[in-house]
Amino acid sequence: MTSPRYAMAFDLERCTGCHACSVACKVENEVPLGHYRTKVYYQDTGRFPKVHRSFLPVVCMQCADAPCMKACPTGSIQRGEDGIVRIDQGSCDATGACVSACPYGALYVDPGHQVADKCDFCSHRLEAGLEPACVETCPGETIVFGDAADPESKISRFLARHRDELVALKPEKGASPQVLYRGDARALEAKVPEGRNHAPESYEIETWSARAPEQGQGGAEVQR
Amino acid sequence: MKRREFLRVGIGALASLPVGACIQLTPGESTNVPSAPRAKKKRARIDYQTAQRTSGVCLNCSTVCGIVGYVVDGELRKVAGNPLDPNTAGTLCAKGQSSPTIASYADRLIYPLRRVGKRGEGLWKRITWEDALEELAQKIGAARAAGHPERVAVHVGRSRINDVITRFLNAIGSPVLLNHRALCSLNKRAANYATIGDQDWETVDAERTKYLLNFGANFYEAHQGAIHFLRRVVRGRFDNGAKLVTFDVRLSNTAGRSDEWHAPLPGSEGAIALAIGHVILRENLHDAAFLERWCNVSIEELREFYAPYTPEWAAEKSGLEATTLERLAREFAGCKPRCAAFTNRGSQAHYNGFGNDRAVVMLNALVGSLGQEGGYCWISGEVSATKFPPPEPVPPAPKLRTDLEDPPEYPLANHWQKMRVGQIVYAYLQERRAKLEVYLSYTLASPLTWPEGRSRTVDVLKDEELIPFHACSEVVYSETAHYADLLLPDATYTERWGLDGRNSYELQPYVLLRQPMTPPPGEARSFADVLIQVGKRLGPEVAPYFDFADHEAFVRAQCAKVPQGSYASGFDRLKAEGAWVESEKPKAYATFERALKPDELEGSTTDPATGIVRKKNAKGVEEAIGLVVGGVARAGFKTPSRRFEVFSAIVKTAAAKVGVPDDGFPRYVAIPAHEAMTDERLHLVTFKWNVHTQGRTAPQKYLTEIVHSNPLWIHPSAAEPRGIRTGDAVELTTFRPLGQTYQPTGAELGKAVVRAFVTEGIHPRVVALSNSLGNAFGGRIATARNASREEHAGLGEGADDPDLERGIWWDAARGGSGAGFNINAILPIQPTPVTGMQAWYDTVCTLRRV
Ligand code: SF4
Ligand code: SF4
Ligand code: SF4
Repeated sequence: MTSPRYAMAFDLERCTGCHACSVACKVENEVPLGHYRTKVYYQDTGRFPKVHRSFLPVVCMQCADAPCMKACPTGSIQRGEDGIVRIDQGSCDATGACVSACPYGALYVDPGHQVADKCDFCSHRLEAGLEPACVETCPGETIVFGDAADPESKISRFLARHRDELVALKPEKGASPQVLYRGDARALEAKVPEGRNHAPESYEIETWSARAPEQGQGGAEVQR
Repeated sequence: MKRREFLRVGIGALASLPVGACIQLTPGESTNVPSAPRAKKKRARIDYQTAQRTSGVCLNCSTVCGIVGYVVDGELRKVAGNPLDPNTAGTLCAKGQSSPTIASYADRLIYPLRRVGKRGEGLWKRITWEDALEELAQKIGAARAAGHPERVAVHVGRSRINDVITRFLNAIGSPVLLNHRALCSLNKRAANYATIGDQDWETVDAERTKYLLNFGANFYEAHQGAIHFLRRVVRGRFDNGAKLVTFDVRLSNTAGRSDEWHAPLPGSEGAIALAIGHVILRENLHDAAFLERWCNVSIEELREFYAPYTPEWAAEKSGLEATTLERLAREFAGCKPRCAAFTNRGSQAHYNGFGNDRAVVMLNALVGSLGQEGGYCWISGEVSATKFPPPEPVPPAPKLRTDLEDPPEYPLANHWQKMRVGQIVYAYLQERRAKLEVYLSYTLASPLTWPEGRSRTVDVLKDEELIPFHACSEVVYSETAHYADLLLPDATYTERWGLDGRNSYELQPYVLLRQPMTPPPGEARSFADVLIQVGKRLGPEVAPYFDFADHEAFVRAQCAKVPQGSYASGFDRLKAEGAWVESEKPKAYATFERALKPDELEGSTTDPATGIVRKKNAKGVEEAIGLVVGGVARAGFKTPSRRFEVFSAIVKTAAAKVGVPDDGFPRYVAIPAHEAMTDERLHLVTFKWNVHTQGRTAPQKYLTEIVHSNPLWIHPSAAEPRGIRTGDAVELTTFRPLGQTYQPTGAELGKAVVRAFVTEGIHPRVVALSNSLGNAFGGRIATARNASREEHAGLGEGADDPDLERGIWWDAARGGSGAGFNINAILPIQPTPVTGMQAWYDTVCTLRRV
């Protein structure tokens, strides 16, 4: 039997910014406070009364040319035949070279267990025949997931229908990210940090505004 | 009791606290509490092959979604949506996903505690359940013996065990079941009852709609029925091409994702709806056939009623453009009947909110979308006693009434449903308009989410003359618990029983079973079981009503009529599947058109003048059952005229009773406090976040990590002249209301210093602050305090959670933004005339940088 080739896409017009995906992920994977495998970014644009809010849910992009993998000194990161980039927790030495290499803020070193961790499409759930936790719970049916090798799968049909509308985040990084977006994802990509895990402070409401941060704006409370 | 003596009693973490020993639970005050040994857990993913799977029902908000829990080694590790719940089809919101963190919270209450020292001092002694139940029985028994069962009150928030609570109160003879409906949705429900009569909450057929006019509902974040509705709106919009237009003073997630966001002046929603109606009639875009067939006033009368409400008039009231309102009217009516106009707190939580909401519901009648595919539909979500009979004998309801549960100033609060006027409870106690001996609080979130909360409410909760005895059932040491005399550690919704359900957006009845996924920790026990056990102790007049083992037995009895399917019983079926859907029932479209069946008509009479069909009910009382329309006896609407009611005799009579001018039509009423506003004053509104509900989600770490602080939203044009920038401390001063409401003096009420957030996402005349943060109690997450159990009363059992010791990155002591502000202390009690809904969004304030 040939291996499935897992792929994911976000249909952003359907996203409600509800954070169900990120909370589902944190509970599922016991992610400590202040560290993230997934995160949902907010951005407000425009001037009253023409203001609009955008959301950007992010996960590990399962890069085909993964910088984290190249940076790992112990060779603990591998990309499986199924397209998922995984960390071998046994051999990981937690130096965090991968964290610094990732263009998408997707990695963190778990402070308790002292191993690097990141989204692996909930591999333990896939093994049990379940969808990733974020996909299963998403009320907007925003997250499309499945086996891209199966032309009948949800993801294959989605990719076929919207082929020309899909974008990857930060394509210039050359990592060949495999998670794609339909919608204005690139307008928010500057919020996704590079070389460090998603910052907890990026949840603060003061970071929502798309206007150039004025003095005192951009997380004043956090920086206090 | 002096602190030193108290410490000598010998203290331990609650987990190791022996019976009879004392503990100090005031946050930040506790000392000398040895920590439970912390076992370093090995990282282990959930093994879904071996995890124990149990269905249940979420109650992290009132939407009550079906869930399944996965238990590993006795711990609830994961909650997912139950795919058999027709409303969710297996999806959940962030709060639902957070469920396991409630059960495993290291700062839970686990033993019954009795207050020692002064009320509100935070000193507690561990007692046995036997002691706790005996004390409850004795206090309640004494009130009954003194001839005053009505001096026993139960005050609940989102309880979802009102069947048990009502049975308990009926059995002891007290009518005083208080709630928080008037703080939530009273006017919206009243508006549906007054016009449609059948249901208090609509079920918009959003998946099949083409156009949605949303007056102040934030269903992307916090609606009752939130994700049930939300899922279908997303499908309607992106699979079906529906348009969503939202009126809201603040850029909520719903507003921010709508096709159009319009920010009117607060309380002008009714004016907007009336003007849209005006245009629909003026341009003959209405559904004349529907109106002639079903409306209780003629089209001529409608035209006359709507005549003064021109778009230009509404533009003046709302600040929106008249041409915009005209365009929206045309677009909306152009999609008829696949269109719906609906409301929530943004339109109803105003002095004129009842009228606002009626005006919005009327738009659906004008275009004939009532009950239509893609339109404004309705279906009951009630777990009815007929379908789910409780164990016999059932105690009769007492005949007594009191001002506390039935305040005569608000005659419509209890007219259709006992919605009460929760926000005046503490004020009326203070004024001695009612006397209490026993106050039982459950899931209440008072004073936190109460108007005049951390002010008047606390004064009353502390006053042992006004509330001689207060027992509180809680999962965590909440602010309500802090002011109790007896603390009853509650089971969470993943640890207890119940039948639940909501209006189904599939428009077919269903029910869900809540059952324990794990036993509660320590000695925690569900409040339903506490009431049943107390009932058994209350002597021969009360005990027979509690002649069953426990809440599980009660629920099992309720399931007697549930078809068993391939299981041993209906109860077993629900235990296994979690949901029962009556999928053979027709979808509840246009229920008013249904022709009455011969057996329904048997023994009925028809009034020749009105066409109303009447029949004696089981109790021998004559009641309307339908209406002859087009020569056929049909079900009609459940209003007095059996028609859709624009004119309401009920409203006219009730208003006359309390001296409020009202001709029975939903005319626009200006808000007195707003009419009197000077330019320097602003409107202050509150709101909910998508990851929080009232007072009960703050202890959940992954939710509070996302939202923990709540700065004041202010528009640059209001901020700049006041020299306010994001992050600045600003002083808010609030004022009492004017008009026919409680203490309408317009006088200054209070001040608070909060932080500013300057944003384009708010009306320039409005400032907004969320209502659900600023927790001073609820454990380390809720209060944003990193601490070990040594430093902070560690209440729970088992290993501590390292996240609670050092993971709270928003802890202000670490430079984070902290736990937020609680603004409710300075929001006035302001029930709306006749109905009694809290006019949350009418508050007037001033603002200055400090
Ligand atoms: S997103 Fe980051 S962690 Fe994921 S594969 Fe790419 S480089 Fe590695
Ligand atoms: S769960 Fe779905 S709708 Fe909610 S934030 Fe995540 S992607 Fe968006
Ligand atoms: S909508 Fe309410 S009931 Fe449903 S999952 Fe979310 S919190 Fe639970």
